[in-house]
Amino acid sequence: MIALWAPIPAATGTDAASTLVVAPLLIALVTAVASLLSGRQHRGRIGVSVLGAVAYLIAVVAIDWYLVLAPDAPGIATYQVGGWAAPFGITLVVDGLSAFMLTMVAVIGIASLLSSIRVLPDLDRHRYYFPLFHFLMVGVTGAFLTGDLFNLFVWFEVMLMASYLFVAYDGGPLQTRAAFWYVSLNLVASAVFLLGVGGLYATTGSLNMADLSRRLAEPAAYGIDPVPVVGLFGLLLAVFAIKAGLVPFQFWIPSAYQAAPPQIAALLAGATKKVGIYAIIRLSFTVIGDAPVDVSLAVPFTGPELAGDSPLVFVGAALFAMAVASIFVGGLGAIGGRSIESVLAYSSIGQVGFIALPVAIAAAVPGLRTLGIVAALVYALNHTLAKGLLFLAVGAVRTATGTSRLADLGGLAGRSPSIAVPFFVGSLAIVGIPPLSGFFGKFLVFDVAARTASSALVLVVVAGSVLSLVYATRLWTRSFWGPQSPAVETAVTDHVQAAVLLALALAIVGVGVGFEPVYAFAEAGAEAALDTDAYVEAVDPSDEVSTGSGGDH
Amino acid sequence: MTAIVVATVVGALCAIGTYLLLQQDLVRVVWGLSLLSQAANVYLLAMGNVLPGGPNTVPVLAGHGEPPSGVTDPLVQALVLTAIVIGFGMTAFALFLSYRVYQEHGTLALAELAEAGDRR
Repeated sequence: MIALWAPIPAATGTDAASTLVVAPLLIALVTAVASLLSGRQHRGRIGVSVLGAVAYLIAVVAIDWYLVLAPDAPGIATYQVGGWAAPFGITLVVDGLSAFMLTMVAVIGIASLLSSIRVLPDLDRHRYYFPLFHFLMVGVTGAFLTGDLFNLFVWFEVMLMASYLFVAYDGGPLQTRAAFWYVSLNLVASAVFLLGVGGLYATTGSLNMADLSRRLAEPAAYGIDPVPVVGLFGLLLAVFAIKAGLVPFQFWIPSAYQAAPPQIAALLAGATKKVGIYAIIRLSFTVIGDAPVDVSLAVPFTGPELAGDSPLVFVGAALFAMAVASIFVGGLGAIGGRSIESVLAYSSIGQVGFIALPVAIAAAVPGLRTLGIVAALVYALNHTLAKGLLFLAVGAVRTATGTSRLADLGGLAGRSPSIAVPFFVGSLAIVGIPPLSGFFGKFLVFDVAARTASSALVLVVVAGSVLSLVYATRLWTRSFWGPQSPAVETAVTDHVQAAVLLALALAIVGVGVGFEPVYAFAEAGAEAALDTDAYVEAVDPSDEVSTGSGGDH
Repeated sequence: MTAIVVATVVGALCAIGTYLLLQQDLVRVVWGLSLLSQAANVYLLAMGNVLPGGPNTVPVLAGHGEPPSGVTDPLVQALVLTAIVIGFGMTAFALFLSYRVYQEHGTLALAELAEAGDRR
């Protein structure tokens, strides 16, 4: 018994690298608790929150540089929690993919936090806003870092608990109703998640992602039948699609995004949505991709037949259907929106379709794997920056005019140019005009679609782009052009909010102009997602620990 | 035998949970959610091997001080404990939320709530 308690030294990485892996998680957690404990010290709480968000950003940038981008960077680092080695302990892993996601979240997190400070004047009522904000960040960070399937479930729940409260936050009839749908749907999703996790454990005998992928790559050596894994992964795929808001799991998005404060909607669209995308990419490509399953599948549009020896073909087909449906449902829904945030919420469904489409192509066509994931990551980055900016602009418009209904707005461009200019940049980035970040996102998606040599795919992308052009134009003309409405005439722009918008707009331009390093980062992310061997080697270098016992469950 | 009983229980819980989830009343929906997550928990527990089960099978021993004859997988029990705690918190929150919905809308009937949504 005593031997069990002796600390097992962490097997990989230097101590500094390991510490860096756990840093963002700890920073977010400490900030959340500290802002919770600061009681009625409003200035103190704000100070702690901002300090925490800045420290988070610094930690993430340090991870980006020292672990992924620097010339001598290891590319991947692990932290074995409590010194228990994988596959028995809980492992936190950072590689290019999670670092890319963390960077997006850190940037949009700090922007959302700074905007939030300005709309919460009555701080006594809003004592729990900042702690909740940081707990949301804890959940998102944990989901990006964990190397264990059940822990992914736990981090999802941490993230969701905070987001439930934010959807219900304003406490009106709209909010309570939206929150109830949101909670119900996610509770069902959690049950399905557990079913998938339980089934995978029974089939493979492990839940550690690295161990899982090693077992699935050589099922015969471990006595596993890889075929059921495909179906069980289908359950998980549905759960992740709910988090990402892909059609047919999109119906909660419009009400939830309209009910939540716009600053949080920016975070929901920019961060929690990306958790779903991240989980799809990580589990499809790193974990189950190498399982030998003979597939031959007739699917319309993608060529005569999808065939291969990997479950990824199924993932590709399912994602493809969901992505195409999302592009159309989101685009068409956005054209009919009655308020800025309802247009943005539907647009968010369409845009996640654009992110999922290259992932689907990457899964279905082995030759396009790296390029497909790069396209998805670049598009995801653009969506986080642009949609984040636009939702924060909704917050700024509401602060200035007291409304965000299209019918009550008009002529904002004349009254509040400091909101209008960034909003314009954000809209153009969604449409995909050069030299903004959106251009490269759209361009790469086009590129991947064209390389499949399927004209139907290219047509889908073109149609989706036209839809986004239509709703962006409608949004712009209805709210920013035309005669000034009474609400707009008395509008007073908040300068801090405007500054945050401007900074995000500059970031969008910056990503577009200096695209090369961003592309390199996205490529590192895509390669990390595909490099299963390096992942397994980093997480669980000992080979003999896990052999033997699997599969007899 | 045990395996059949467990499978039946999971199936029945799922069926009742789904039925309640489709009801017109918010409180029943919450009950449905709670039953559904219990079904998932029982299923998860069963995934660690349902042993044919003599009286001495761990975790419940028939007598005191005897060596156990068989061991079930302890990992799933740890997982289920976590899932139960999370599920309990979520159910409490859903119940509280349905109370707030009642306060805001004066009704718990889903049809009337949907109408309230359309009027917006």
